[in-house]
Amino acid sequence: MGGPTFAAGSSGTAAPPDARGSDDARLRRLLAEIGRGEAGALAELYDLTSPKLFGVILRIQRDRSLAEDVLQDAYLRIWQAAGSYDPEAGRPLAWLCTIARNRAIDGLRRKGTVEVQGPVRDDGEDWVTRLMDPHDDAAAFLDREALGACLGRLEPAHRDCVVLAYCEGRSRDELAQRFDRPVNTIKTWLHRALTSLKTCLEAVS
Amino acid sequence: MSAGSGGSGSEAAPDPDLHAAEYVLGTLGARERAEMARAIAADPGAAGRVRAWERRLAPLLDAVPPVAPPARVRAALLRSLPGGPVGSPDQLALLRRQVRRWRIAAAGAGLLAAGLALFVAVGSRPEPEGGRYLAVVQGGGALPALIVRVDTRTGIAQVRPVGADAPAGRSLELWYVGAEGPKPLGLVGGTPSRVTLPPGAAQDGVIAVSVEPPGGSPSGRPTGPVVYTGRLIAE
Repeated sequence: MGGPTFAAGSSGTAAPPDARGSDDARLRRLLAEIGRGEAGALAELYDLTSPKLFGVILRIQRDRSLAEDVLQDAYLRIWQAAGSYDPEAGRPLAWLCTIARNRAIDGLRRKGTVEVQGPVRDDGEDWVTRLMDPHDDAAAFLDREALGACLGRLEPAHRDCVVLAYCEGRSRDELAQRFDRPVNTIKTWLHRALTSLKTCLEAVS
Repeated sequence: MSAGSGGSGSEAAPDPDLHAAEYVLGTLGARERAEMARAIAADPGAAGRVRAWERRLAPLLDAVPPVAPPARVRAALLRSLPGGPVGSPDQLALLRRQVRRWRIAAAGAGLLAAGLALFVAVGSRPEPEGGRYLAVVQGGGALPALIVRVDTRTGIAQVRPVGADAPAGRSLELWYVGAEGPKPLGLVGGTPSRVTLPPGAAQDGVIAVSVEPPGGSPSGRPTGPVVYTGRLIAE
């Protein structure tokens, strides 16, 4: 029910390769309407994008009921911020996901240090594998390819830190525990990884 | 943007680009995140660095599988919206002016197997703050079959099936029924869609859904009998 249309990623619901371009246009139109205060447009945007955003949030905030709060909070933020969406800022779904991620991570960090976030279900490599899986979004293929290649060139442990931080909201402290290293080492790893990532991506594109 | 000075001990002034990267990555602490959020709002340079990192890492979001949230989040979200940034106090007057531009968003699967129609009386009474109406449409059982939400401020109606199955080999067709009789609005598809009410549509008109042969009624008139009824109530 409620048709999760934006099943980007490994959902297996393959859309036509050109679907994404028109999806983007539709999301941009909805964001413009929301910016004018049209509540119905927010409801429609929610129906189209909430499974994706909830997936993103749930990976970071694993407590389901807290994740639901974050989701609602994220759409309220979208309601307020839609008018300032700038198509130059990137594709609309990525913009929405960024808001959701930031809300989820803010929630975790505000609650203080190491929350018990349950067992780790994936390591960094799983995420990279999924990144390289065939996707239905042809438009983003090159970006994914480039990021995947550049992640692949990092030290595996450094890469895992980056990916677990981004996809699962792991803090430096959690990563330090997980890799049994001092927090400062993790910070150094992250900085090294991010620096090479940037250099690599600039060289590739 | 020199966040971090006097911060958690050992930190020297961070490289602005790495700081932006860690903000996007999510590995900064709460205080640093708050500082960075302020910097983004005030400093185009910081905003640009953050935006560039968001773009670099965004492909990883494609690897996150979607998860359908429970329906209560949607309900709570729509309830929590402020009364309406463009709302005028006289929502009913607004409704009357906007009615010809109403669109129906028909969502989701279908209704019960037998022939059916859904009738919704539109615009029965004004609603205090949002111009939002709700109809819970039942077919005689305890569970609703459809929830129809009409936002008179935006002129958008949404039809959401709750517990109903599409009849095999049939199409569902939306109608507007006014003084001049039923006018077809389009088929109810498996995905959300919007249709526009015909010119001259009045607020006491009726929205109907009927079961038709595949592709819609061949005659331009609905052929399915009335099974469901629903009345709009102020939300």
